Amino acid sequence: MSERSFYVRWGRYLLLVALAIPLYIWSWRTADINLVDLIQGAPKARPIISDLVRPSLLARERVTLSVSAVVRVPCDAPPPEPPPAEGPTLTLSATCLNARDSLVVSGSGFRPNTPGRLYWRVAGLEGRLRDEPFETDAQGRFTVETDIPPLLAQQGGDHTLEAELKWEAGALRPSETLRTTIDKMIETVFLALMATTFGGLVAIPLSFLGARNLMPTTPWGTTLYVAVRSFFNTARSIEPLILATIFAIWVGFGPFAGVLALSVHTIASLGKLYSEAAENIDPGPIEAIRSTGANEWQVIWYGVVPQIVPPYVSFTVYHWDINVRMSTIIGFVGGGGIGLELQRWINQLQWNSAATAVWAIVLVVSAMDYASAIVRERLV
Amino acid sequence: MLEVRKLTKVYDDGTVALKEVSFTVPDGEFLVIIGLSGSGKSTLLRCINRLIEPTSGQILWDGVDITAAGQEELRRIRRQIGMIFQQFNLVKRHTVLTNVLTGRLGYTSTWRSLLGLWSREDRARAMRNLELVGIADKAHNRADELSGGQQQRVGIARALMQEPKLLLADEPVASLDPATSHSVMKYIEWMNRERGLTVLCSLHFLSLARRYGTRIIALRAGELVFDGRPEEIDDRRFKEIYGDEAIEVEIR
Ligand SMILES: Nc1ncnc2c1ncn2[C@@H]1O[C@H](COP(=O)(O)OP(=O)(O)OP(=O)(O)O)[C@@H](O)[C@H]1O
Ligand SMILES: [Mg+2]
Repeated sequence: MSERSFYVRWGRYLLLVALAIPLYIWSWRTADINLVDLIQGAPKARPIISDLVRPSLLARERVTLSVSAVVRVPCDAPPPEPPPAEGPTLTLSATCLNARDSLVVSGSGFRPNTPGRLYWRVAGLEGRLRDEPFETDAQGRFTVETDIPPLLAQQGGDHTLEAELKWEAGALRPSETLRTTIDKMIETVFLALMATTFGGLVAIPLSFLGARNLMPTTPWGTTLYVAVRSFFNTARSIEPLILATIFAIWVGFGPFAGVLALSVHTIASLGKLYSEAAENIDPGPIEAIRSTGANEWQVIWYGVVPQIVPPYVSFTVYHWDINVRMSTIIGFVGGGGIGLELQRWINQLQWNSAATAVWAIVLVVSAMDYASAIVRERLV
Repeated sequence: MLEVRKLTKVYDDGTVALKEVSFTVPDGEFLVIIGLSGSGKSTLLRCINRLIEPTSGQILWDGVDITAAGQEELRRIRRQIGMIFQQFNLVKRHTVLTNVLTGRLGYTSTWRSLLGLWSREDRARAMRNLELVGIADKAHNRADELSGGQQQRVGIARALMQEPKLLLADEPVASLDPATSHSVMKYIEWMNRERGLTVLCSLHFLSLARRYGTRIIALRAGELVFDGRPEEIDDRRFKEIYGDEAIEVEIR
């Protein structure tokens, strides 16, 4: 290598670097890159991340126990006899009360070390008044101080105080979250299947119009070809998220909106893939079939179809896989499926549940990926 | 009798592939077309059954103008013209039998053929033709499982299904080794001699052309530069056809 060409070569590299440096400085600033935040903020993300690796999968059955006692208001008539009780009982410091009197409720014979709540029932209503939390001690006892709510004091008569304990017992069972997740995951896979089917069915005829070699070279043929191809390219570039937002308004939130959004995207995307596959077929067999005196239908059926079936099937399976992936996201904007649940759980900061959904998506998407790879391999 | 009159083909990009080519082929002839690569042999053969639309000129077959035929008539003409190809052009994913049966498409109604309802006679005919070319045992194999020579024999069986009067063969042995080439050429020769088909066959090797042709025409850059009996091609003629640099190689 001559000395001159050596300098020319390195001079070029240096020039490139000199141009690249300001470009990167500018991009770094524009993108708001801040490594300090990345490191200092880490503790804030810790609870979320630790929840994410502990998805809610199994839970024990919840057992509820409630025990009640009756209190008379005001204290003018003789108080009701407390029922003779076995097992858990509530003992009241007074069996009748006047307004603003306070009452000490103690319980015994309950499940030890269990959280519970004590509240007043309102006759004929679902509501609870006061609703004080407590926890039983190691002997299964607790004491709570409460008073008569003004509403009940005004009404007078017999009122019910209730202590309710809840705990988990029995065998491990799939948690509520897991069951919802599985349900919604199935919905997602079928939603994607419907979208792939609808999209594919429309894309097949369109793809013939979008294949240069199958369209006549007349002005009409060319116009149609260009129109179809432009439609594929434009529609493909519209994000399914945007389509889902539109359809969610159009037909309401839910899987149907998702099916529509993904179908439109699938038509464009599969249409383009199909067209390209059709353009790549071997013209030889078509020529041979045509030379036997076959008509156009026969040429298509015997010369074109056997050549396009394998790539079409393979692209369709591949796109089903893509649609499953996308339908997990379009739920965020009302497209139904697992995305809707995931978004709800994220908004309610239920990270364990969100983790279940995230892992389910990972599992299903990679399974689909694997399955579609196998199917495609078989088809070559 | 096949009569080609002032046949010209200009492709869309302006390439002149054939320039006013005229010749006549009496029934029963084995006509070999020779010429360098790009001289227009394939174009000429495809113009005859209008896989390629000629730009001008006429092709008369037994007095019928093929170039003027409408779609329906063209299909009736095509089914009497068998064609075999250098790349065999079988439908790879179909069985050998189905490939052979496609030779009957021109005689089968659309709905029957779309449902694969081939008549009993056609199935029997297909098996007979496969036996004739010696690959009946491969009838249910996929076409792409066969060797090149076997695939070309499927191509021949497919052409035989048409019961053609004319056979167009576009470099039928160019992808085959010498021994296989001869076995395929012998089938074509058999069709010509025993079945009385008129054959138009393009070939790369002059030795093959001399061995099988009853008559040879030569194209050079789309023009007819020779039309005569095989033994008339001497050194001077050879150089006219293939250019001064060329030397003749033998294929035995
Ligand atoms: N579809 C096409 N569009 C434009 N030009 C073409 C087309 N097909 C062939 N040609 C040109 O026409 C000329 C004749 O081609 P043709 O295929 O008939 O030659 P050939 O003699 O069969 O050659 P080979 O021996 O290589 O098969 C060539 O110059 C070729 O480049
Ligand atoms: Mg050729």
